[in-house]
Amino acid sequence: MLRVAIDIGGTFTDVVAETPDGLSSVKVLTSPQAPEEAALEGVDRLLRSLSKSPADITGVVHGTTLATNALIERRGAKTTFVTTAGFRDVLAMRYEKRFEQYALDIEMPEPVVPRPLRLALPERILADGSVLLAPQDADIDELAKVLRAQEVEAVAIGFLHAYKNPVHELHVADRLRAQLGNDVTVCLSSQVAGEIREYERFSTVCANAYVRPLMSRYLGRLLSRLQDRGFDGSFLMMLSDGGLTTLDQATRFPIRLVEGGPAGGVALAAHVAREMGSQKTLSLDIGGTTAKICFIRDGQPQTNRRFEVARAWRDIKGSGLPVKVPTVELVEIGAGGGSIATIDTLGRLRVGPKSAGSEPGPAAYDRGGEDATITDAHLCVGNLSSDGFAGGIIKLEPQRAPQAIAKHIQTPLGMDGVQPAAAGIVELADETMANAARVHGIELGLDISSFDLLVSGGGGGLHGARIADKLGIGRIIIPQNAGVGSAVGFLRSPVAFESAISVEQPLEDIDTASLLSRLEGVLDHVRDIVAQAVPVDKIDCSVKVELRYQGQGLEIALTIEEPGRFDSEFKTLATRFEARYLTLTGYTLENIPIELVSVSVSARERLMAEPSTEVEPTAQNSQSGIRDIYDLNAEKPVSYEVVARSQMNGQVVQGPAVVPEDQTTTLVRSGWSVRRSHLGHLIMERTGR
Amino acid sequence: MTNALNIVARNVLWNRLISVCEEQANALMRAAFGAIVREAGDLSAGVFNANGHMLAQAVTGTPGHVNTMAASVRAMLEFVPSHSLLPGDALVTNDPWLGAGHVFDFVVVTPAFVNGEIIGYLASTSHIVDVGGRGWSAEGRSVFEEGVTIPVMRLRKGAVLNDDLLNIVTANSRVPHEARGDILSLLTCNDTGAERLIDLMNEYDLMDLSDISDYIFDRSAQGTKTALARAPQGIYESHLRLDGYDTPIDLRAKMTIGEGRIDVDLAGSSPVLDRGINCPLNYSAAYAAFGIRALLTPDIPNNQASLNAISITAPSGLVVSAERPSPVTARHVIGQALPDLMLGCLELALPGEVLAESSGALWTMSLSGAGPTDFTSLNVALGGMGARPTLDGLSTTAFPSGVGAVPVEAAEVAAPLIYHAKEFAPDTGGAGKFRGGLAQRIEVGSRIGEDLSLSAAAFERLTNGPAGRQGGMGGAAGKVTITDGTEITDKGIYKIPAGERLILQTPGGGGFGKPADRDREAVARDLNQGLISEEAAATLYQNEPIQREE
Repeated sequence: MLRVAIDIGGTFTDVVAETPDGLSSVKVLTSPQAPEEAALEGVDRLLRSLSKSPADITGVVHGTTLATNALIERRGAKTTFVTTAGFRDVLAMRYEKRFEQYALDIEMPEPVVPRPLRLALPERILADGSVLLAPQDADIDELAKVLRAQEVEAVAIGFLHAYKNPVHELHVADRLRAQLGNDVTVCLSSQVAGEIREYERFSTVCANAYVRPLMSRYLGRLLSRLQDRGFDGSFLMMLSDGGLTTLDQATRFPIRLVEGGPAGGVALAAHVAREMGSQKTLSLDIGGTTAKICFIRDGQPQTNRRFEVARAWRDIKGSGLPVKVPTVELVEIGAGGGSIATIDTLGRLRVGPKSAGSEPGPAAYDRGGEDATITDAHLCVGNLSSDGFAGGIIKLEPQRAPQAIAKHIQTPLGMDGVQPAAAGIVELADETMANAARVHGIELGLDISSFDLLVSGGGGGLHGARIADKLGIGRIIIPQNAGVGSAVGFLRSPVAFESAISVEQPLEDIDTASLLSRLEGVLDHVRDIVAQAVPVDKIDCSVKVELRYQGQGLEIALTIEEPGRFDSEFKTLATRFEARYLTLTGYTLENIPIELVSVSVSARERLMAEPSTEVEPTAQNSQSGIRDIYDLNAEKPVSYEVVARSQMNGQVVQGPAVVPEDQTTTLVRSGWSVRRSHLGHLIMERTGR
Repeated sequence: MTNALNIVARNVLWNRLISVCEEQANALMRAAFGAIVREAGDLSAGVFNANGHMLAQAVTGTPGHVNTMAASVRAMLEFVPSHSLLPGDALVTNDPWLGAGHVFDFVVVTPAFVNGEIIGYLASTSHIVDVGGRGWSAEGRSVFEEGVTIPVMRLRKGAVLNDDLLNIVTANSRVPHEARGDILSLLTCNDTGAERLIDLMNEYDLMDLSDISDYIFDRSAQGTKTALARAPQGIYESHLRLDGYDTPIDLRAKMTIGEGRIDVDLAGSSPVLDRGINCPLNYSAAYAAFGIRALLTPDIPNNQASLNAISITAPSGLVVSAERPSPVTARHVIGQALPDLMLGCLELALPGEVLAESSGALWTMSLSGAGPTDFTSLNVALGGMGARPTLDGLSTTAFPSGVGAVPVEAAEVAAPLIYHAKEFAPDTGGAGKFRGGLAQRIEVGSRIGEDLSLSAAAFERLTNGPAGRQGGMGGAAGKVTITDGTEITDKGIYKIPAGERLILQTPGGGGFGKPADRDREAVARDLNQGLISEEAAATLYQNEPIQREE
């Protein structure tokens, strides 16, 4: 067996190979003009080091931010949007509201299809799916002429209420395809995102059409060049929701690939959670610019069907393009190692969201960065050592950190020493991340203190203990080798596909027989897609429903445990909804119909990941040094024992201790203990408070 | 606490208090009935100290709750003194003069106790879809016709819910179960907020909120003072004329910018009328202050100190300071015009730094069945925002309100209507160096061939479009017609006969700067996109004759 994962990010391309002997990886610089170049270079180098050839590869798993970047940089295909006459401005009108109440200078993103290319066709389907006005073939032929004259590469079709009845979209697509030929991509809103609410559905189908020519050309090139070298294994793509899919599906719905990279990181976290037998896991990935939060239940990441790409105005929620595709539900916070600490106009200490990134980077990088960052604060209090930072790749000038903090934070705040100021920055960063997790947990109705915290990224081990303290969490997992986490995550992901239908009807009015037959159609569809890559007996299907009190926006997702017994489970939905509603809000309502909003169906490859048994730890210490770290509560430096992960063979080390490693440093604060599990992951447990 | 810890803790606490409010407001929003209420975010949540002074408040879709909520808590405590409150108690009212300006808005206030002492209060407010009376229209001749008013009283006493009160509300509402749900949701929201507040105090070993109050108020007062200093001191006056119900209404303001504060007197505005577009002073003040703060102090959070720096006054009995029993249902028609009035004053103080006038009051599109099928559909039709000093105005986007429209598909699922069109209306954005936001044209009719009834209560700026600034031209006035030839000219109730359609064109935003100074590429782009006509390009923008390609 030789499986290869390729993760193409904005800066780096990671390639990971898995053989029966284990994992190995290389990191190369991304080649934006022809991303396959860097990918192939990475694959070649890795195979050489393993003395293998492309013909030995059994499978490739690939994730890329290419589609996202094309949307951000607006470098997609020349796309037209064919829509119901009278509604050509839906894409530009958006939600018709400002996403910032007090900022008078906000700007809305440009639609991916400009107004002259948004073409109206007389046709109309009503809310119940009935036809008010059928499209005329003469009008369609006229459109085809315009499209040919415009030399468009892609056509998105989006008609009102097509989620309910796609007949007009299908007919227009057929007729246009017949006249435009195969060189022009045609995408239908009912197929890309068949759900109610025209703006979001139209935005999704246009984004899909916009990136599709680019993505299918790129993926075609990558695959054919791999095949030229003798590769003939399977080729799968990472989806935004953490599932893998075939190249064919990925090429049809490239918009589903947008969050593939981050989904890989979450997939690895989910895999470690399954290995560790953690049923409730809060994943926190702290990188250089942002921190990302995701809740994982029973080894499955929380997903959502709505996502926003290419935020255009100060990265603020609401300023991007909505896409209705299944996505791991990540909350991103502007707090990472490079996040800048400032004093605002009210004299308040702030951390992020502005980041010094890696260029110029924190002040201590000494590459021209003047600002005080979280990394500088860690150095200043002693959480980080200037020796061997990032495996020695980045050389630090440690005295630059206190200088920057003294100038930008300590002096304006009138604080006594630079270390208290630095400790304040770290505390505020901890608070920002903890609060984001708390708020997200409350929104989802979760008792966060019953979760394990799984931290990754360069900053995960530095912030984990304090964040856990704030959230009342008692156990922290710091996985081994999280440096190329997303690519490893690809290798741990199941082949899966999800599709949803809008219902929006009271439960009591639903004809279960006709719903079931609609459902079975979708079920067959998603199962067929997964079956292209997985034997049928290894596919699990699941059905999720979203319910709400009619008229409210609070939607509650419930799982139909056995899709085969849909009828009988359907009858229990009202009771289960009420119980869940009661937990979330503290009350239930009478005489208000419960509405079935949507049904989503997914087929998923069954993965064999059983929790491995833990070796009983023994308590003994092996000391290898002392590091002084400034403590905000004690108002003075506290001595931390320095221990290496490799030296911890099952014994429990009591905090305060610090575990320095190439890519991260783990702080075991007072009141916590640490040990290494036999899988190599560090486990921190609270021993007191 | 040590100095460093103290500084950090205060920062954390302030952030966390705002976060608690935002969280509660979001929870309320999800649980609110009625798409338009949710879209509007017509609700809010706040945390108050033991003296009833507001420490933090959620920023939601409508600024109408900003000053109103800050004043509600102390106003309610005058009716039920704090020493009589016990753990578990919660107070409620929907009195327009104590709450948020009309009977639809319910305010619930819950004391938070530590060791048997009140350490603060949680307040939340939300728009309830129906509380009886005439429902959503301007037709009430007095507030008594506009629905049931609940004076300040206990919604819960100890752990016991006041079912008598809830029964009065439900007996008076056309949607009783939803009304009950919305009120319960306010109660829960405060309870959760109180728990969060007490957790927070435990985490930082606080016995009371006095230290954090001082810190928040001190910083906010200082920050506001510094920010206001940008505007030269002096007295500035402005005037705005609205269509009114059927005769014009004048709004006048005299703004005094002093050291670190702004005082506005609305004297000279028109007297109250006997239709429900009057505005209580609390709601007028909320919107007027929003207009000033959005321009001058956008980064300073809402709290007692930041609000205290701005005062809005008016002699009683004006359309901006209506007293009981004047009808006030559609008070936003006046309230939402006030930011433009304030910006008119500020334009004199800071010429060239102020956005042009916007379409103003939200056009509430209230359609109901007038035939055999009974239904009500609420949506909004949005006009253009005024051009900014460096940017075009946003098209079909409300300002000052933050409310968005209900999607056509959702609106058609909810009610037997057909939207036949909803598109930008070309040439409606005021011409200027920066163009005003475009208005839209909406065409809607019955799906089932029955008569419809329309309340035109909020269709404002049908006579005069929003004005431009610095040489920019005005945006187009709105226009509303029915295909049977009827033109809507007042804010009354209209019938749309079966088979006919309603055609609305909202007002466009005003332009900023001289049209001749507009970047030629921007003119060409607008022309290419069909946002302006060739005639407008040639005459208003003095564009060179079009060189046709091909």
